[in-house]
Amino acid sequence: MNNTGMSNAWHHSRRGRGHRHKEQGRPNRERTVEQKAEDSVPRGACMTMCPANELRQREAQNRLHRFEMLAGTERDRLPSADVSRAVKEYSRPAAGKDSTRATDLRPPSVLLKTVCYLVDDIAASSTFQPWTEVYSFVSDRLRSVRQDMIIQRASGPDCVAVLEKSVRFLLYASYRLCGQPLQYYDPRINDTHLQESLSWLLESYRDGKHRHQEEFQALSLLYNLGSTHALQHVLELPERIRSSPAVQLALAVSRAHSERNPVRLLRLAQKLDFIQVCAVHRHLLPCRRDLLLLYSHGHSSRNCRYPLQRLARLLSLKDPLAAELCRVCGVNVSGEWVSFSKSSFSEAASGDLQCRRTHEPVDDEQWNCPAGSVIHGCA
Amino acid sequence: MFAVTLDLRIFANNAEQQLQVKGKGNVGHMLEKAADQLMSCFRVCANDNRTGIDDSKRWGMLFLINQLFKIYFKINKLHLCKPLIRAIESSSMKDEYTTAQRVTYRYYVGRKAMFDSDFKPAEECLSFSFTHCHRSCQRNKRLILIYLLPVKMLLGHMPSHQLLKKYDLMQFADVTKAVREGNLLLLNEALVKHETFFIRCGIFLILEKLKIITYRNLFKKVYHLLRTHQLPLDAFLVSLRMMKVEDVDIDEVQCILANLIYMGHIKGYISHQHQKLVVSKQNPFPPLSSVS
Repeated sequence: MNNTGMSNAWHHSRRGRGHRHKEQGRPNRERTVEQKAEDSVPRGACMTMCPANELRQREAQNRLHRFEMLAGTERDRLPSADVSRAVKEYSRPAAGKDSTRATDLRPPSVLLKTVCYLVDDIAASSTFQPWTEVYSFVSDRLRSVRQDMIIQRASGPDCVAVLEKSVRFLLYASYRLCGQPLQYYDPRINDTHLQESLSWLLESYRDGKHRHQEEFQALSLLYNLGSTHALQHVLELPERIRSSPAVQLALAVSRAHSERNPVRLLRLAQKLDFIQVCAVHRHLLPCRRDLLLLYSHGHSSRNCRYPLQRLARLLSLKDPLAAELCRVCGVNVSGEWVSFSKSSFSEAASGDLQCRRTHEPVDDEQWNCPAGSVIHGCA
Repeated sequence: MFAVTLDLRIFANNAEQQLQVKGKGNVGHMLEKAADQLMSCFRVCANDNRTGIDDSKRWGMLFLINQLFKIYFKINKLHLCKPLIRAIESSSMKDEYTTAQRVTYRYYVGRKAMFDSDFKPAEECLSFSFTHCHRSCQRNKRLILIYLLPVKMLLGHMPSHQLLKKYDLMQFADVTKAVREGNLLLLNEALVKHETFFIRCGIFLILEKLKIITYRNLFKKVYHLLRTHQLPLDAFLVSLRMMKVEDVDIDEVQCILANLIYMGHIKGYISHQHQKLVVSKQNPFPPLSSVS
């Protein structure tokens, strides 16, 4: 794709500019390699969320998404496009396809406005149901936003803001849609996009000052709990960022994980805010199982019993759910008491308890954070 | 060929540094390209089946591998070392190369094993490197020791003060003392004090693993003090408080003990109802080297 881009950009720079022929002589040769490279980087000129070409084409071919249709025309044979709600879709790069036309590319300022629209008006709105469809639409359009950024080799505060909101959206989605059937939500695909956006974001943080850096360094560490690579990266951060409360808490959680102290980990997890829980939640169920494993060995004795209620509190689960987790892991529960035995613990059926069921916190607090504020980060 | 490849790697390193100063290009790009070139040299050497053993190009393999190791460690792509290690381990010539080459090879293999948490093989490789490294190469011996020490400590062998002084590695002195005495407070302080050094060498995370050994040593002291095989959990809590570990409660103590039992550092079980740790009457704290 890169080759096509380069040659087309070259075409662009010559088209309609006769004076270029004069420059073919000595002056052109004296321009540095860097300057020539700068000329060939595409610059977006499309000031709407969806380029006009694409809008016309998709409207004519009946390929508009439900959320992009003009109200009232959804049931028509050929629904009309709502220009204020249409968003450029992601399309795979292909040989012969020119992705670098300036009129099709949105500059970073427009990309940021697009992302804000996607988050405020689509993802955070309760009028669009089911949320799996919202996710599918928003994640695709965000992918297209990132693609525009890549083609333009964009950088700067607008891009950082775009990436930050994308990461928050994907983290939120990973929690809200956890356990949904594969055809509506694939955690592995979400993870790929998330890791890509995160590493791009962390790379962008290397230059200059960024207001939310501490928060996202912490989120990255929590999401990648257990990864030596992620941990080493955080340890090498400048003192100022490493000593921020968010990163310190993430480091403490990470330390509890590497010391294999699930009691401490689950206790620290209670101090995390909502988006941090979204980041770390997929590690919590394995951590709870690990607790049962360790206790099965440590408390393994025929005559001893452990109170279920206390165990449930350690696991930060409600009593019945804790009992079910025990049963699934081969830990014996009878009434209010648990008997641990190292021979009866078994990993075999532990996949039967879905992570999703462990999502509600024990205190019955309503996780009523409006999605919008979570994703924008101004909770 | 040795000279050319060595120069190539050094050039690549310099190119990297220059690019970094200018702030351009992807980190590791130049080194990766150098590695590609070295790999093609390697393939030529490895595929030389037709000449006799005296003239075989295969003698060049270990040197090349060492160069590649250096690059892979620098760009942090350790998984690429695996096929190279396999190639040497399956070769019949692996003990016939020069000692210098073998020392360097074992050093990197040992470091990779450390990274993969295979501490016994890491100890073997790094020990070999250390003992066979020439007496006059103090700098290299010190480098090897930086990685050998944490591994040995995890296996329960603490370095002597003279050793640390001889090789100018006093950063490990406090760590060693702390682990030996079961002094968590000193361990935490020592890790913080020399944090930058440990992080730069990439051993900070491994040294954190010494915490579990430190707990084990501390609890063993408690056991010796109380002289009973039914130890109240509270005693452990008190010992931790004495080490200024404030934010640990009885549940966390149980968890730490459960972990030690699971790992085989303590033989016994916890009775929650009696709030006691009941240890085996025979050898409840097996020696560290027999456990890992």
